[in-house]
Amino acid sequence: MAATADLDWPLADKERVRRLLALPGVRPHSLERLLAARVAVVGMGGLGCAAALYLAGQGVGHLTLIDPDRVAAHNLGRQVLYAPEDVGRLKVEAAGSALRRLRPELSLSLWPHALGPENADFLLAGHDLVLDGLDQGVPRDLLNRWAVAHGVPVVFAGAIGYEAQVLVVAGGQPCLFCLFGSVADAAQDCAVEGVLGPVVGMAGMVQAQEALKLLLGVGRPLIGRLWTWDAYAGRTRILAVPPRPDCPVCASGPVAVGQARMGGQHRG
Amino acid sequence: MQLTINGEVRTVAEVDTVAALLDHLGVTHQAVAVMVNGAVIPRERYASTFLADSDALEIVRFVGGG
Repeated sequence: MAATADLDWPLADKERVRRLLALPGVRPHSLERLLAARVAVVGMGGLGCAAALYLAGQGVGHLTLIDPDRVAAHNLGRQVLYAPEDVGRLKVEAAGSALRRLRPELSLSLWPHALGPENADFLLAGHDLVLDGLDQGVPRDLLNRWAVAHGVPVVFAGAIGYEAQVLVVAGGQPCLFCLFGSVADAAQDCAVEGVLGPVVGMAGMVQAQEALKLLLGVGRPLIGRLWTWDAYAGRTRILAVPPRPDCPVCASGPVAVGQARMGGQHRG
Repeated sequence: MQLTINGEVRTVAEVDTVAALLDHLGVTHQAVAVMVNGAVIPRERYASTFLADSDALEIVRFVGGG
C-alpha cells in the first residue's frame, strides 16, 4: 500500500505498519493514532512481557512500564523479555532494553514503583489505555476504580495454573467489580498453584490484540465480555457481563477528573 | 433439581440457594462470579438467592496471576 508514504513517520515505523494497513477497517489515520498512542502497562510479569512485545512491535508510540520488582531466575520460563543476565535487574529496565532492541523508535517511560492510591494519578494520567499485568488484587481494585473514574479504558487479564481470562473495561459500565466484586482478597499465588508459561503469554497477547483493536478503532473489543481459556480442558468461553445497576464503582458513571474515588472505600 | 452449570446439565439434590450450590460444588465464595439466567449475583446475595429447576448458571472464578 502506498498510503503510508504520506505519513510523517520514521521509515522503520512506516515499514512496520505496512501489513496493518491492508487489514479491513484500518485507515491511514488509525495508524497515526497508533503511533501517537500512549499505553501504560502495570506489571511486567508474564502478561506485561507478552503484551508489551506486541504493542512495541506493532507500532504503539509510547509505552509506560510500571513494576517495582527485579528479575528472578524463576521468572525466565514465562517472562519472555528477560534473559539470564537480567536476573537481579529491575524488570522495567530489563524490559525497556529488550523493547528498544526490538524497536529503537519506541518512546518509553520506566517506573520501578508499585501502583498505589498515592501515585495512581501520577503514573496513569495522560495515557490512552492501560493494560493490567498485575498479580495482586488490591492494586487491581484500584486500577478498576481509577479507570472508571477517569474514563480510561483498561484491558484486564489474569492467568494461573492452566487458566487465563481477559476483560476490557472501557471507562463505564460494566466494570471488573460488576462481575467479581472486590478482588482484594483473591489469594492466588503461582508459586503455589503453578502456571503454564504459554497460558499467561496467551492472555498477554489477547490483551495486546484488544489494545490494538481499541487504538485502531476496529472490530468488536471484549468490552463487557469476559474471555476465558482453560488450557487443561482445551475450552474457551466468552461470557457477556451485564452491568450491575447497584455497582458501587461504576453505576453512577464516570466522575470528573480530580474527584477520583481512591483510597479503598469501595472495597468489600 | 436440574440446573445448567457452565453449559452442562446437572442434577443436584438438597441445594436451594446459590451459597448452598457453591458449597456443594466446593467452590469458594471469594473472587468468583456467579450468573443466574444471565444476571450477576453479588456475593452478599448468595445465601438469599434461591435456585429453581432449569435455572442456567455460569460460575467463573477470578483468575488473578500475572
